[in-house]
Amino acid sequence: MPEGFRGRPVFDGNKCVGCGGCANNCPARSILIFDVCQELRILQYVGGRCTYCGRCAEVCPEKAITMSREFETSTNDIGDAQQRMELFMSTCQRCGRCFKDESALEKLKLTGYRFDDLQNQRWIFGAGAYQENQPAVKDIFIEMDW
Amino acid sequence: MIARERLNQLKDKFGSAILRADLPSDRQLFVWVQPEAVKELCRHIFRDLDARYVISIGADDRPFSGKFIVAHDFAFDTDHVLCSLLAQLPGDEPKIESISGVVPAANWAEREMRDLVGIESVGHPYPKRLVLPDGWPEDVHPLRKDVPWNHVPPEFKEGASFEFEKTPEGCTVVPFGPFHPTLDEPAHFRLYVEGEMVRGCEYRGFMAHRGIEKLAESVMSYNDIPVLAERICGICGCVHSVAYTQAVEAAAALRPPPRAEYIRTILLEMERLHSHLLWVGLACHIVGFDTLFMQAFRIREPVMWMAEKITGNRKTYGLCVVGGVRWDITPELKAELNQTLNKLQAEWEPLVGAVSRDKNIQKRTRGVGVADRNVVKNAGAVGPVARAAGVDIDCRRDHPYAAYDRVDFRVITATGCDVWSRVVVRMKEVFESIAIIRQCLEKMEPGPLQLEIKDELPVGRIGLSSVEAPRGESHHFVITGENNRPRRWRVRAPTYQNLQAVPAMIRDQQIADMTISLGSIDPCFSCTDRMETIELRSGERKTWPQKELLALSQGKK
Amino acid sequence: MLKELCQKMFGRSLWVYHANSGGCNGCDIEVLNALTPYYDAERFGIRLVGSPRHADVMLCQGPGMRATARALRAAYEAMPAPKLVFAIGSCACGGGMWFDSYSVLGPVEKVVPVNYYILGCPPRPEAIIYGVAVALGLMEKKAAPVEFKQTELPIPRYHPEDLRRQGDLVIYEKAEKV
Repeated sequence: MPEGFRGRPVFDGNKCVGCGGCANNCPARSILIFDVCQELRILQYVGGRCTYCGRCAEVCPEKAITMSREFETSTNDIGDAQQRMELFMSTCQRCGRCFKDESALEKLKLTGYRFDDLQNQRWIFGAGAYQENQPAVKDIFIEMDW
Repeated sequence: MIARERLNQLKDKFGSAILRADLPSDRQLFVWVQPEAVKELCRHIFRDLDARYVISIGADDRPFSGKFIVAHDFAFDTDHVLCSLLAQLPGDEPKIESISGVVPAANWAEREMRDLVGIESVGHPYPKRLVLPDGWPEDVHPLRKDVPWNHVPPEFKEGASFEFEKTPEGCTVVPFGPFHPTLDEPAHFRLYVEGEMVRGCEYRGFMAHRGIEKLAESVMSYNDIPVLAERICGICGCVHSVAYTQAVEAAAALRPPPRAEYIRTILLEMERLHSHLLWVGLACHIVGFDTLFMQAFRIREPVMWMAEKITGNRKTYGLCVVGGVRWDITPELKAELNQTLNKLQAEWEPLVGAVSRDKNIQKRTRGVGVADRNVVKNAGAVGPVARAAGVDIDCRRDHPYAAYDRVDFRVITATGCDVWSRVVVRMKEVFESIAIIRQCLEKMEPGPLQLEIKDELPVGRIGLSSVEAPRGESHHFVITGENNRPRRWRVRAPTYQNLQAVPAMIRDQQIADMTISLGSIDPCFSCTDRMETIELRSGERKTWPQKELLALSQGKK
Repeated sequence: MLKELCQKMFGRSLWVYHANSGGCNGCDIEVLNALTPYYDAERFGIRLVGSPRHADVMLCQGPGMRATARALRAAYEAMPAPKLVFAIGSCACGGGMWFDSYSVLGPVEKVVPVNYYILGCPPRPEAIIYGVAVALGLMEKKAAPVEFKQTELPIPRYHPEDLRRQGDLVIYEKAEKV
């Protein structure tokens, strides 16, 4: 079994940011995205018509998709090949865009009372930062075309 | 230089009819002419200048210029020029004079234009439906821009069946297909038979027509289409993806990095290897020599394994993107590939010897399925079919692409014009392919694999590309477009033209030879788009179950 | 139940009829490869036959096309019961890349009922043999749907306009649950 063998793609929900790049580039239109509301995005991979081309894995910015080496995928139910992710797209409180909410550890950053800075060592989170108009950590830089 | 000379020749003769000419490079020539002069120009190019007919294409350009475009592609093989004659037709009534009278090979292309785009070829000898399924309404043309790709016309009749021509006096009809064990794909041939001898045939195919060209124009993007193109055919997948990519690169004037070109060449030749090995095995199976079938498949497996190691899949390589390739050949893979090739060569030579000395195979294949130079020219046949008739054409040498201008190889021809010559040509080409791969591996320099394409590709440019598939020349025609996808993409597979040579090949042969004659063109119906025999004298219709036909072919002494 | 039926009826050897309804033939060649010396399916007793009337299993390849739908259905009905249908390749299983094209009906299951799906494009000969082994009950299937949820609903939904200051704290006035 060679190393580069393109078997079944495996979607890692922990790394996915829900950008939709894979869905836009899938030639078989096998990856579907549905936004339930502003915070919830469902990403579904329909395994039935995947052609194992590997473009989704190539374009994913977070490398959340890996082409595994599994090829023993026959089943008697076509729904067995499906992979579904429900992603929480939390809204950045400053600019209103979606960004990813990572693991449970990182969730702690967004709750409770934290007022960092400590003489510009940075790391501010919390609602207070929004009120005081201070920049939060993990600023998102957006390229503007003037 | 030569393209300009040809252009000047045409201008001297047809000055007023030529509206515009584009010479993007020394090897591609686009001549825009008045629709009325198309037939005469085609006749001149085909007969007087002795060019080879490639394909005719119809395109719906109404959203952009308000007109339809008809293109007739020809190839000047000795001058290394691909030429396209284009004409614009008014948007409300696309009619053009048919060139099938002067160029018999355009028969199918014009029928397809009519089915899919709605361009009428006035004066066509046999204007019958070719491509679309039976029951499809007459006035819905899928490749027009106003018809969506997933359109299901409400007038579609589910149970309609193909109307064959009225059978001549005193015939037996033996339906054959669409499912048949020797032909992997569904196709329907109807033969007119007198006793055991075949007198004529009719073909109903295109059951594998999946609407690929329409999908490419509607939902895919430039880099998705190579993945689509590889699945046009089960054996020449890489060829189609390389040909498409080259056509787009020609249209956009891009040149992929040299390492990418070498890798493309290597994988193309590997594809040729496993295709020819498969064909020799299949041909032996058809004439009843099953041992060689198993042996040929056994020898071919290591090639598939190597392809899997390099690209990740045994057959659908996913190799090309516009401007380069996706996979690399590391030094370990190179060493392994060399080893595989050595082993292959060592095992192939005794097999070639076995086939050459076998009197049975020679008796079954000599003098069978004869297609001489005239048939080849009139049908536009390409590949081993043409080379076995002594016509010295090979796209790798005549229209060099990828790295073929940097390697040495011989073009194998034979003069027998029959199935045996085709067997010989294919067997010898295997050795040439092995030599080409070895040279490429030596000459390959390290470097980038893909071009950095910074801007969007220019819109409205036309690109042609001819690639030598194992079966012949595969020609792609691309008009680049907006929204990151082409406006029109036409795929012409070699079997498209080779199949038009089949009626001449099987005339006055026995029924049992039909299968091997058909098999000798290495039909790839999925690239192209069944057999009924009609006994001329007694008027009976007989259904041959598939097993019987295969047994008939294998049992013939 | 189907598994026991298969094991009882088919014993150990299956006669297979190959029906290509308009695909690219990549899967077809992999099936042929499965019968050749390296992967040798014939050692399991699997034989390719030329007529649906002799077959136990129909291997369908290629999407269900308008042009061949009738012929495929006729071939299916010509097979004597008990019979199995395997859909090989992504074209037969889900329609492939052209599942919504104008001349394609969709996956093969729109024309004939399918018992087992063997995915791949094209599936390796080992995958095909594995699929047949799963069907025969010799092996267990390994595929299962995967679902990943990052948060459980209902989740609180905050709108920045609702922030109010209360002394040192900042609280949300309303919390909407979604």
